[in-house]
Amino acid sequence: MKRSWWYQFIFFLVVTIVSIVTIIPTVFNHTEETKYPIKSKVALGLDLQGGLYMILGIDFPKAYRDEITAYARKIEYHLKDTNNMVTTLGSLDPSDITDPKHEVILAAGSDVAKAKESIKEYFGTLIRLTSEKGNVLQYGLSAQVRTQLEEQSSAKAIEVIRNRIDEFGVTEPEILSQGKDRVIVQLPGVKDIERAKELIGRTAKLEFKIVNDTIPGAQIAQWMTKVKDAGIVFDQTKETYSKFVGRVNDALKAELPVAYQIAFQKTVSKVTNKVEVGAPYLVEAAPRLTGDDLQDARVQIDQQKNEPYVSLEFKSSGAKRFEEVTGSNIGKRMAVILDGNVYTAPTIQAKIGGGRAQITLGSGGFNKVMAEARDIALVLRAGALPVQLDFLEQRVVGPSLGSDSVHKAVVASIIACSVLFVFCIFYYRFSGVIAIATLVLNVLFLIACLAGFEATLTLPGIAGIALTVGMAVDVNIIIYERIREEVRRGANFYKCVEAGFAGSYWTVIDAHITQAMAGFCLLHFGTGPIRGFAVTLLIGIAITVYTSYFVNKLFFEFYMDKVEGQDLSI
Amino acid sequence: MFTIIKPGTKIDFVGKMRMAAIASVITVIICAILVVTKMNYGVDFRGGAEIEVKTKQRLSLDEIRQSLEKSGLKGVTLQTIGDEAENEVLLKVQADPHELNVVAAGVEKTMRTDFANAGVEIRKVDVVGAKAGKQLRVSAFLAMCWAFISVMIYLGLRFDFRYAPGVVVSLVHDTAIVLGIYALFGFEFSLQTVAAILAVIGYSLNDTVIVYDRVREHEHKYPGVDLLTLINNATNETLSRTIVTSGATLMVTVLMYLLGGGAIKDFFFAFSVGIVFGTYSSIYVASAFTYELDVFQKWRKARAKQTA
Repeated sequence: MKRSWWYQFIFFLVVTIVSIVTIIPTVFNHTEETKYPIKSKVALGLDLQGGLYMILGIDFPKAYRDEITAYARKIEYHLKDTNNMVTTLGSLDPSDITDPKHEVILAAGSDVAKAKESIKEYFGTLIRLTSEKGNVLQYGLSAQVRTQLEEQSSAKAIEVIRNRIDEFGVTEPEILSQGKDRVIVQLPGVKDIERAKELIGRTAKLEFKIVNDTIPGAQIAQWMTKVKDAGIVFDQTKETYSKFVGRVNDALKAELPVAYQIAFQKTVSKVTNKVEVGAPYLVEAAPRLTGDDLQDARVQIDQQKNEPYVSLEFKSSGAKRFEEVTGSNIGKRMAVILDGNVYTAPTIQAKIGGGRAQITLGSGGFNKVMAEARDIALVLRAGALPVQLDFLEQRVVGPSLGSDSVHKAVVASIIACSVLFVFCIFYYRFSGVIAIATLVLNVLFLIACLAGFEATLTLPGIAGIALTVGMAVDVNIIIYERIREEVRRGANFYKCVEAGFAGSYWTVIDAHITQAMAGFCLLHFGTGPIRGFAVTLLIGIAITVYTSYFVNKLFFEFYMDKVEGQDLSI
Repeated sequence: MFTIIKPGTKIDFVGKMRMAAIASVITVIICAILVVTKMNYGVDFRGGAEIEVKTKQRLSLDEIRQSLEKSGLKGVTLQTIGDEAENEVLLKVQADPHELNVVAAGVEKTMRTDFANAGVEIRKVDVVGAKAGKQLRVSAFLAMCWAFISVMIYLGLRFDFRYAPGVVVSLVHDTAIVLGIYALFGFEFSLQTVAAILAVIGYSLNDTVIVYDRVREHEHKYPGVDLLTLINNATNETLSRTIVTSGATLMVTVLMYLLGGGAIKDFFFAFSVGIVFGTYSSIYVASAFTYELDVFQKWRKARAKQTA
């Protein structure tokens, strides 16, 4: 053997040993705890192991509306704090969905010019005055705030979803943004899909609003009958709860006092287990405090009634605001609203310092309430979604479908490979054995590479592997047919092998480079499944060229050199 | 030495080229019409929802239909899938985009509650907005276009620019035929189909490059021989390799199609069809196109000389 052969052989040996060491965690399905120096292994994609895949869309019009409403409330506080001016909140004008505007009404006889000046000085370029009529000022968001909202929303949403999922405990979740208005969430291997979906979809918008009790209950009841007569009834199977609430408020828009809206206490019937619409409340449209003011949320148990509740702790700024609000609204009720649903609306007995509040959930089976309390505390702790998310696309793969298909596919591959191997030996005799060896090595190296990169294997990925193996078989056949051509010309066997390999070199290289060019384009321009295919194909191409050409040649050189005047079995 | 194709075989491929070209053009046109009119787009591309349910006890489709109607859920079509014994039903939901989620959830819930006794297992739920489906189609198409362009440039540089368009024509030919057969049999065009088409293109590309490679080799070895003879000799010389490779891979893909189970069945069906037509197209479409292009170029040169 020549010295260069030995160098190549040592390289090959190292590659093989490293590959075997690398695929051990994948083959024996090691867990995190298994004591083994290498942790990385091939992860199965959602389509193979089951799990949840979703694309969530961000509802920007709603985000703009919430943002300008929040600014209106800030203007109110600002004018009161600095100039002692009394203002009330006017109505929201959502006609332009990308640029909603909100009115602020100054008390009669106020110095409008001074108020405008003060607002401009304090808020700068964040908001802009869109129109004014006497003591009514209308503001809209500045373009800068809107772009900022667009840019930050998906990033913030991803962060919040990640926090929630981490608390939920899913291994290897994948959460990424697509464009500026989409978020992709992939949770492989999730068992409790319903709960996962609920946790992710929950906006967790916590709001504290003062209830308007000056309007008699009879009037509210009358409004409710009117809504019902207009055919607006809640049906769980047809629409979401928040959509229903939105429709009710749209229908009553002309009659409700300005800057107020209807909210309901949602109840779940113990008998039918269906969501029912409970008592209506007339509450302010703009919240006094929100989830942003929150420091912490935990589940506690009321010892006397044996009922779980969620206790809230405000940040220092929020605590100060809470104290002010409770102080100036003694005797009124304050509604605690989570995702548009009134959880509780206790009467404010006295000014509350210390920044603590609680959400009581009522009774209804200890375990059920406990689970709900835990979920609420969890989403509040993990943060509210900055925007409403709609489910645009969701795929759930049951775990059994995944394992069934993998099992069947593996059995089929083994049978197909066996047939292929028998064919190789039948057609090419001993050279066929070498071909089989290179094919097996090819698959070994490929899996090792995927494990090393911690790649996720999906069905399109398997398609890539299938094509790679097909091409590897082809490389062997190209070379062997070349060798046969040479043998027919009657040259000496060693020369035949050499000429066979030399003659097929550029054929193999050109075919694989062309393939790789296509693969790079698919990787760069494709999405999801196409990329999965491209990744395995590209890795496969590099490995096939090495294994099926160079390792093959190495084996043949050894085979021909073993005995002087070796016969060639091909 | 065991051989399928005897060495020294001389089949006149080129002589039948015109016939083959006509047959190919007609087939591709028929396939294109089938694709446009009859293609059954899956939920991934059309938007909508699909729920796959497996039950322990056998349920009749009527039973399910009635129960769904009772819950006020409309626009659901039912279909049994997989083996008889598996008791698997596919529920396809069509609804307004904004209601899709709610209706799909309703169907899922109804199945769970109404047939709890039958041991219902929800195996798969796919809900795809129409917008997402369109995006996927566009991105898949663009990726393929770029792949074609880059392949053409590489072949143009490495071989000759006469060869480059032939490859793309043959790839379009193969894609059209595989899709046409899909449409003809009413198979659903899904993400798996995209993966299969990609594999078919890859396979056909490989095949074509290998025939070209031999033509190029002969061009250098026997200068002065006309292209028609070169193509014929090259095709005959690589015929053994072509048949053995195609036979071996076809054997594997057919086995995988028969034994691999539902999840990969469609993929290997398309791949098998693709292998047959990919092999044919590298001889009759790619080489034929290259030859015609050569003839056209010579004719143009001759005319240019005449006018000058």
